[in-house]
Amino acid sequence: MRRLRLVLLVSLYFIVDGGAEIPDEDGARREYRHRLLPQEDQEEDLEERTRSIQQRYARSAHVEYDEEATDVEQQALLPSVRDPKLWMVKCAIGQERKVAVCLMQKAIDRGPELQIRSVVALDHLQNYIYIEADKEAHVREACKGMRDIYTANVKLVPIKEMTDVLMVESKAVDLARDTLIRMKTGTYKGDLAMVVHVDDMGQKVIVKLIPRIDLQALANKLEGREVTKKKAVIPPPRLMNIDEARVLNICVERKRDMRTGDYFDNIGSMSFRDGFLYKSVAMKSISTQNIHPTFDELERFRRPGESGDGDMASLSILFANRKKGRFMKGDRVIVVKGDLRKMEGHVEKVEEDTVHIRPNQKGLPVETLAFSDKEIRKHFEPGNHVKVICGSSEGATGIVASVEGHVVNLVSDTTKEPLSVFADNVVLSSEVTSGLTRIGEYELHDLVILDNKSFGVIIRVDSEAFQVLKGVPDRPDVALVRLREIKGKVEKRGNAQDHFKNQLAVKDVVKVIEGPCKGKQGHVEHIFRGVIFIYDRHHLEHAGFICTKTQSCVVIGGSRANGDRNVCLTPHRAPQSPMRSSRGGPPMNYGGRHRGGRGHDALVGVDVKIRLGTFKGCKGRVVDIKGTSVRVELEAQMKVVTVDRNHIVNSVNMSTPFCETPSHPSKTPLRSFMTPMRDPGAAPIHDGMRTPMRDRAWNPMSPPRDSWEDGNPASWGSSPQYQPSSPRSSAYEAAPTPGSGWTSTPSANAPSQYLPSTPGGQPPMTPSSAYVPGTPGGQPMTPGSGALDMMSPLGGGDTEGPWLLPDILVNVRKSNDDTVTGVVREVLADGSCSVALRSSGSGDTIIAHATEIEIVVPKKSDKIKIIGGPQRGSTGKLIGVDGTDGIVKVDDTLDVKILDMVILAKLANA
Amino acid sequence: MQLHPRHFGRDLRDKLVSKLMKDVEGTCSGRHGFIVAITGIESVGKGLIRDGTGFVTFPVKYQCVVFRPFKGEILEAVVTMVNKMGFFAEAGPVQIFVSNHLIPDDMEFQSGDVPNYTTSDGSVKIQKESEVRLKIIGTRVDATEIFCIGTIKDDFLGVISDPGANA
Repeated sequence: MRRLRLVLLVSLYFIVDGGAEIPDEDGARREYRHRLLPQEDQEEDLEERTRSIQQRYARSAHVEYDEEATDVEQQALLPSVRDPKLWMVKCAIGQERKVAVCLMQKAIDRGPELQIRSVVALDHLQNYIYIEADKEAHVREACKGMRDIYTANVKLVPIKEMTDVLMVESKAVDLARDTLIRMKTGTYKGDLAMVVHVDDMGQKVIVKLIPRIDLQALANKLEGREVTKKKAVIPPPRLMNIDEARVLNICVERKRDMRTGDYFDNIGSMSFRDGFLYKSVAMKSISTQNIHPTFDELERFRRPGESGDGDMASLSILFANRKKGRFMKGDRVIVVKGDLRKMEGHVEKVEEDTVHIRPNQKGLPVETLAFSDKEIRKHFEPGNHVKVICGSSEGATGIVASVEGHVVNLVSDTTKEPLSVFADNVVLSSEVTSGLTRIGEYELHDLVILDNKSFGVIIRVDSEAFQVLKGVPDRPDVALVRLREIKGKVEKRGNAQDHFKNQLAVKDVVKVIEGPCKGKQGHVEHIFRGVIFIYDRHHLEHAGFICTKTQSCVVIGGSRANGDRNVCLTPHRAPQSPMRSSRGGPPMNYGGRHRGGRGHDALVGVDVKIRLGTFKGCKGRVVDIKGTSVRVELEAQMKVVTVDRNHIVNSVNMSTPFCETPSHPSKTPLRSFMTPMRDPGAAPIHDGMRTPMRDRAWNPMSPPRDSWEDGNPASWGSSPQYQPSSPRSSAYEAAPTPGSGWTSTPSANAPSQYLPSTPGGQPPMTPSSAYVPGTPGGQPMTPGSGALDMMSPLGGGDTEGPWLLPDILVNVRKSNDDTVTGVVREVLADGSCSVALRSSGSGDTIIAHATEIEIVVPKKSDKIKIIGGPQRGSTGKLIGVDGTDGIVKVDDTLDVKILDMVILAKLANA
Repeated sequence: MQLHPRHFGRDLRDKLVSKLMKDVEGTCSGRHGFIVAITGIESVGKGLIRDGTGFVTFPVKYQCVVFRPFKGEILEAVVTMVNKMGFFAEAGPVQIFVSNHLIPDDMEFQSGDVPNYTTSDGSVKIQKESEVRLKIIGTRVDATEIFCIGTIKDDFLGVISDPGANA
C-alpha cells in the first residue's frame, strides 16, 4: 500500500505540472493507480524507489509552492522517452470510472504481476481511459478478462501530448447548496434554479425549479389520451398546486425522500415540494457562471409565508459570482456573517476579495478589520438618498424607505413608485435623476407618433424601450415601444377647445369633468388630434399622465395671466387667440388647417420685438423657427437668442405711428372678408373666435373716412358691391381661415405694400380673384368715427382696432344727435350690442347697432377696460392722461402701462 | 431683484417690496425651504442697471418665515391620497410619502371606494383627509419642491383625527 501512495504522488506531479489546482482528495478520487513491482525485491526496491522518486520529484514539491520556477525547470519535469508511456484504451460509455476502479482492485489482488503503473479516467473524456505502462503488451495483459473495456484498439499517446491528458481544462466548479444556477437545456432552458443537493460522484445535482407544467396536458397524458404535440409552446412557470392536480385526477403520491427525510409529492417521475419542482440534472446541463438573477426571479423563489428575512439572508450565498469592485472606499457596510455580525463600519480599503473596514464602534483595539467581501454588505438607512447603479432600474434615484436584508426598498424621485433593488446595486447619492430619460432623439414626456398611426406620450424610458401612454381617451393604454417603432416626435403645440369651447393651449391648467378620470386636474402637456395629455402630479400611474378628450376638460387657469376665462358661452374670451396669432404670427393656433408650416416661414426674416422674458424689449430679426420657439438675432447685442414664439411681437407694427395708418387700411379688406362668417348659418359658438374681427369691422371708433382717404386716396373709391351681408360672400365661410391673411398682413408695413399684400392673403379665401380689388369692401363697415390719432404709439392698435366688450360704458346715438348713455351687456354675433341704458345699467335694454355706439372716453382715475391690444379684456384704472395716451394700472398684473386712449373704455359701475 | 425702469419714481421702494412679495412668497429654495411670508425688509442696496434692457437689479435683504422640514422632525399632515404603495400626505406645501414599509405591520391596505389602511381590528383607519402625525425620515429638495418620506411606524405616531369618526 505504501507503494501505491508513492504512485499517487507521481500522478500528483502530473497534475501540478499541468498547472491545474485540484485538491488532493479530488485527485485521489479521480486517479487510481497501481504499481506492479516484483514481490521479491519489494523491500529493497522500496527504499531505492523512494530515493529515486524523491530525487526526481524533489523539485515538483518545490514547484508547488514556488511560483518562480523557470520554464527550464518545468521542462525538465516533462516525460521523456525513458518514462513509461500512456496508452489510451476504449471502454464502455459511462463506465470509465468503474473500469478504473476495477483495474485498481485487480492490481491490489494480483499484486506485482500486473505490469501497468497507473490508470486514469477523465471526467471530460467519455469512452476512454488512460493506462500508464511501459509496453502495450502490459496493457493488454492487465485488461484481459475484464468487462466494459475493449483492448482491440489501444493507442499510444505521443509524449508531447501526455501532459495535456492530465491538464484540467476548466476550474472545478464549487457547487454548494443554495447556489443559484441556470438551466442550459430542455424546457427549463434559461430558468433560474437553486441547488438543493450535490452528488459529486454521480455528477448530478438536484435542483429546485419553478415548474413549467401544463396540468391539463399532463392529465391527458396520464389518462392515456392523445396528447396533441405542441412543443412550441412552453408553459409559463407557475408554482405547482397539488390540489389542482388532484382535481384533474392526476395521481399524486406522497413519498418520503430517503436522503433528506422530507416529504415529496410525486406525479409520475416528477417530485414536488411546496409547489417547486425538484429535479435531478446532470452537472453539465447547468451553468453556474454569470447568473445575475433579477429581483423578480428571486422574489418567486421566496415561498409564500416564509419570512423575508431568513430567505434573503440565505440569498447572500448566491452572490458568489457577483461582480468585483462592488465596494468603494467610504461605503457604509454591515457585517452579515461570523462573530462580528451586525457590526457597522466604513470601507477603508478594498483588495481583491478582502475589504478592510473601519468599524463604527469606539474603543476597539484595531483600526481596521479585514473581511471577505461575502461577509459584508452595504448598509443603508431609511431616508438615505441613493442612486441605483446597475440592474433594470439603473440610474434611478430615490429615498430609501426600508431595508430588508439584502433588499433595499426605495421610493423613486420622479415616479414616486417604490422600487426594490439589491443593496449591492445602490450607492449614496445626492443627485436627482429619473434614470434614463432619453434614447436617440426621444425624451421622457415627448409626444410621439407610433407605427400604426397611433400616438402617445413617453412615460418611461427603459434601457432599450419606451413605455408609451397611448392617446386613447379615457382608457389608459400603455404600450412598450422600441426605438425603431417610433415614427417621429410631435413638436407642435396643438390648440383645442374645451368642454365650454374655451381655447385650450399647452400649459393651461385643466380639470377633467367627464369620463373615468373625472376630477383630475393638471396642466396640459400635449394636445394632439383632439386628445390631450394632462400631467397631474398627484396621479401616480403612468408617470402622472392622463389622457382624455379635449371636450371632457375645462380650463381652470393657465399660463396666461389674463383672468378673462369664462366657463359659460361668452364669446369674448375667444378673441385671445386671433390676437396671439396676429402678434406672434403662428398660424398654428388655427389648428389643423395650417399644419403645413407655411406660417413658419412667413415669420422668418421678420423684424420682431421680444415682449416677455429675459430679452424683453429687445428688437431683432427672426432667423429660424423651431417648434414653438424662434431664434431671434438681436439688433443691439449682436447675438442670436431663442425665445418662445409667444413672447415676440411684430415690432414694426408697434414701433412707428406712420406705419400704423397704412397697415390699418390694409386690414380693412380682411375684415370685410370676415364679415360673411357672421352669416346666420354659422353657429354662434363657432363664431366665437371670429366675433372680435367683425366687431372691429363694425367699430364705430375707427377713423373717419376722410382721414383714411388721406392715407390712401386711390384705394378708397367706394364700391358698395361688397356689402358684408351679400349672400355671395357666404362662400367665404368655406375659406380656410383668416390666418394666412393675417400672417402676411403684418408685414405689409409701408403704404405702398398694403395693396400687394392683401391680394396675397386673399386667394385662399376668395372664390374668385374678382375680390382682389375689393379693398373698399371694408368701407361701408367703417363708417366714420374714431380718428387717425387713435392709431398712436403704444396704442396696441397693432393689428386690430378696438371693439366692444361687455360692461363698458357707451353712448348710444339714436336718431339725430340724441345720445344716451348705457352699459354694454352683450356683444351679439352680428356685431351689434345689447345695451342697458343709463350709466348704471339699470334702464331698459336695447339692441344697438355697432355704428350707433360710441365708447365713453374715460377720465382720470376712472375704472377702465382695455378693449384693444394685447391686454384686451383686462380691467384697470386710468391714473393719468397724457395727450392721446392714457396711463393705466392693470388690475391683474398691477403693471402700469401707457396705452392709447382709444382702446380704453370706461367700465360701468358694477 | 429686477425692476423695470417704468417703476422708478417716488414709490420705487414700495414697488420693489410688492414685487418681492409677489415673486418670492410661496416659492421654495433648496437652502432655506419654503418661503411662507416676508416679515420685513432689512436693506435695499444700490441698484445696478443692466445693459441693453434698462432693468435695474437691486440687492434686497429681507427677513421671512420659512418652512424647511428636517429629517427626524415630527409633523402633522393631512392624507391626500392612499394607494397600495403607501399614502401621500401634505403638511402645508410639503408633500410627504409614507411607504407601506413604514406603516405599522398590523395595518393593511383595503382597496375599494375609499382606499385606506386599517388595523386588523378596524379601530384605526387611515384614509384620505385623515390627519396623521408622522416622522420625516428623508427629504429631497429641488429648486421648486420639497418632497419627504415619512414614517408612522413608531411610538406616538399615527392617526390623530379621522374624518370618518367626526362625521
